[in-house]
Amino acid sequence: MTRVLVPLAILEGESVSPGLTTLLEPVDVTVLGYHELPEQTPPDQARIQYEERATEALEDLVETFRVGGNEADHRLVFTHDREQTIDRVAAETAADAYTIPGASGQIERVLVTLTGNVAVDRICSFVGELIGPREIGVTLFLATDDETGGRELLETAADTLSAREIDVRTEFAVDTSPFEALLEVGIDHDAIVVGERAPSLRSLLFGEEAERIAVESVAPVLVVRNLDETVTAADT
Amino acid sequence: MGGEPPPAEGTNIEGESPEVEPTVETDDATITDDAELERTLGLSGGLAIGIGTMIGAGIFVFPGLAAGQAGPAAAASFAIGAVVALLVALPTSELATAMPKSGGGYYFISRALGTLAGAVVGLSLWFGLVFATAFYLVGFGYYAVDTLAELGVTVGDRLVIPIALLFGAGFTVLNVTGTENAAKLQNGIVALLLSILIVFLGYGSLDAVGLIGESAAPEQFAPFGAMPILTTAALVFTSYLGFAQVATVAGEMKDPGRNLPLAMVGSVLAVGVLYVVTIFVATSAFGSEALAGFGETAMVEVGRHYLGAAGAFAIVFGGLLATMSSANASILSTSRAIYAVSRDALLPKRASRINLRYGTPHVALGLAGGPILVLTATGRVELLAEVASFLHLIMYGLICVALIALRRDEPEWYDPEFRVPGYPIVPALGAIASFAMIGFMQPTSQLVGVGIMLTTAGWYVYYARDVNLRGAL
Repeated sequence: MTRVLVPLAILEGESVSPGLTTLLEPVDVTVLGYHELPEQTPPDQARIQYEERATEALEDLVETFRVGGNEADHRLVFTHDREQTIDRVAAETAADAYTIPGASGQIERVLVTLTGNVAVDRICSFVGELIGPREIGVTLFLATDDETGGRELLETAADTLSAREIDVRTEFAVDTSPFEALLEVGIDHDAIVVGERAPSLRSLLFGEEAERIAVESVAPVLVVRNLDETVTAADT
Repeated sequence: MGGEPPPAEGTNIEGESPEVEPTVETDDATITDDAELERTLGLSGGLAIGIGTMIGAGIFVFPGLAAGQAGPAAAASFAIGAVVALLVALPTSELATAMPKSGGGYYFISRALGTLAGAVVGLSLWFGLVFATAFYLVGFGYYAVDTLAELGVTVGDRLVIPIALLFGAGFTVLNVTGTENAAKLQNGIVALLLSILIVFLGYGSLDAVGLIGESAAPEQFAPFGAMPILTTAALVFTSYLGFAQVATVAGEMKDPGRNLPLAMVGSVLAVGVLYVVTIFVATSAFGSEALAGFGETAMVEVGRHYLGAAGAFAIVFGGLLATMSSANASILSTSRAIYAVSRDALLPKRASRINLRYGTPHVALGLAGGPILVLTATGRVELLAEVASFLHLIMYGLICVALIALRRDEPEWYDPEFRVPGYPIVPALGAIASFAMIGFMQPTSQLVGVGIMLTTAGWYVYYARDVNLRGAL
């Protein structure tokens, strides 16, 4: 079964938009309520004070997911390092993707970018599971410098999704800034699916790309995890 | 962990009982019934806490004072301190891997030896850290005045205490309101400091043994005999208090079974070597009498002697960083020490409240900062250092006793990943050496130390007599 991790800064009132709740209906959901603390504060000290309130909020959230009919559970973590926590819980729950919450009403069309470090067929199979037989359109997006190879890749990906009776469009960007092009296409979409990126100097300086997309587009972002990498990391 | 430890029982006079929940410890997190606590500190973070806390005092404050008391043999005093610290660091490592929880020495002692010993150690540790922080702040004040002097502004020693007070208050406020990630900054500062010191000490050692430069004036190694070596060791032991601070963040350390022992033992070894070399280099540059005359910032003159104005500036800058990092790290440890006892109902629960706006423990930080400022105002470097060492040494001795007590009758839950080599000799020696060090201190320091311990014991009898913590994990 496909599982999506939904990390939320639970004590800061972060919540899931109705659109995202609906979008996630066909998959299992783990709500990860986290509270990030400055290093002056031992996590256990915060737990004693806030555990009850956070657990209540999480149980309410999980209920809203269950109303839609999916399997849902929750975890609560007090941490100094949000990214480390998301990575660990995602690995432990074997989640296929995690979300960055954003604003969205009804979801009619999802933008899926194939530009990233995650294998295209992995992203496609995740999107297939996520959309299922629903009336939600998908736009596949690819930015590349290799025009012929890129078009081919995009067509193959579109075919696999069409085979599942999903309404697919494609968008192709050559020789432009992939980030700018993505945001431009993203304007008339209600959610964005991206592949996880390996950490780079760029992400160190400007923050993770998925985070920046979420900030710029305001839409919810689903980050498909690079499972191969997780497996090798766990093995070594 | 196998086996069910008995629950913590009883209530304090306000009807609060210890907050103890069964937990499962993994390498990445502590898992309680409803929540998880992420472990985020790596080995480098642990070493930075240990080294960063220790290095300020040993290199930048004590060389002049120690050389004045023991002559070139002050190097031996620092070596004795390192050996004692190591004898305690090993048993502490074992206990920390068996109980990787925040609270450090207090936690082990209260669980192994019972509430009275725990309360005395836990509350004394609060004061011990307060004395240590005040000491670092006064050291910082001296370096701040010297920095101004290097920059051409001579203000004289009368500004030392006001500057120390100002920065003490500043660090406290910063810890309450600052939510930036200071740990990375601390790692950077420690790395920078170590590089400055290694270059400087490397050059100084070559010079001192006569390979470069003119050969140094020969001086008798121990001009005042053996006794001052031991009393000086007791004085400078404050330079080694940082390794126990690593145990106070045991609950936040990744892979605690490996990283805790490495961070504690590693930081003691690293600073021990640096201290001994520093004293050797310093006493080779000047006679110990001249060194004593330079007082708290003698190292600046040593820097000037070897590398001219640049050397003096590097040391002044290093001294500012080092005393600052020691003071700041100790304020943090103090607030954690208060949290550990208040969680166990030995202090009112209010003391560990977190404020909503910044997410920081403002009450505990205030209970740290207030007394620190009062003590800083006294400006008595040696007394502050000795009382800090006194209160820590009591804890160190009892940690060793706690280890022996646990090992003699091992409870089922006791399953440390690291076992102290040379049991029972190492912990026994650690206990004896810790208590013996106290015997070499000035009578005033001993009196103040005993007074604080009696007060904390009195507090326990009044406030939390019915709380039982032995074996309650």
